[in-house]
Amino acid sequence: MTELFVEEWRGWTPHRDAAGEARLDTSAKPAGTAIPSMLRRRLNLIGRAVCDMLIALDPAAKLDVLHASRHGDGERTLEMLYAIDAGEPLSPARFGLSVHNAIIGVYSIASGNRRSQQAVAASGAEWAALMAEAQGYLSDGTERLLVVFGDQPVPARFADFAPHTPAAAVALVLSTTPAPGTRRLAVSAAPEADGEALQPLDVIDWLMQRRGPLSCPLAGRTWTLAPDA
Amino acid sequence: MTTTALEHELKEMIIETLELEDVTPADIDPDEPLFVEGLGLDSIDALELGLALQKRYGITLESDAESSRQHFANLRSLAALVEARRVS
Repeated sequence: MTELFVEEWRGWTPHRDAAGEARLDTSAKPAGTAIPSMLRRRLNLIGRAVCDMLIALDPAAKLDVLHASRHGDGERTLEMLYAIDAGEPLSPARFGLSVHNAIIGVYSIASGNRRSQQAVAASGAEWAALMAEAQGYLSDGTERLLVVFGDQPVPARFADFAPHTPAAAVALVLSTTPAPGTRRLAVSAAPEADGEALQPLDVIDWLMQRRGPLSCPLAGRTWTLAPDA
Repeated sequence: MTTTALEHELKEMIIETLELEDVTPADIDPDEPLFVEGLGLDSIDALELGLALQKRYGITLESDAESSRQHFANLRSLAALVEARRVS
């Protein structure tokens, strides 16, 4: 299997202390300054954060992008269903931005990145799905790519039916070759793995070495970060 | 030329409906194009604006691209449309 290396990363969450880590943005409202205001107005908070992170990690806009989110934009998607039920007309802009690839679509327009983009949802196994997809791209000749994982809370009236997902997003550049500063991403089988589904916040904690290995109970796999010796 | 009360109302409707976070009513020149040039709105904005006109003024636009283009040319033509066709 192709080896994976974490080359660089960025994170956003208002629920952690950056403690001097410049890669982590803890602002309540991400700036979104990498995106022109006429595009930025359509993005929610996580969308602003994701676009800023992707543009910071790949200024040349030349890498493929894999984007995962468990709930996507629950606010827009689920609330639209209530509008339909109430017989109200749907907002075309909200409809357009409710699709799962909306954020990376806006990113593509703003950055001019015309490479392959993929939007993934996997019922709590998003990280495993991202890694499997990344493995596929990198085994197929791609040398570096962007992966991004983001979620936010679902609307209050759905909160009892979905796991709580605090607002957080994380983006990484993965590559097939070690270089100074990269960290090897080792994967192993974890048949006994249990616990909660992995969330973007877990990945941020993991990258900041504030927790142990990442285990995905649904996929039965564990990921560890090792310095690239 | 001065801005009429209706034009001001439409400016506020455009800013609010289209979430133009960095735009104030004074930034919208009534004679400048609303779409592509000028204010720089796009096709999704046109649909959104059509919906707002329907909700607020009861105006249903005909699905005729040429007449929509004329109505949506700038703020003055939009005000003229509302003046002529508003239900309430």
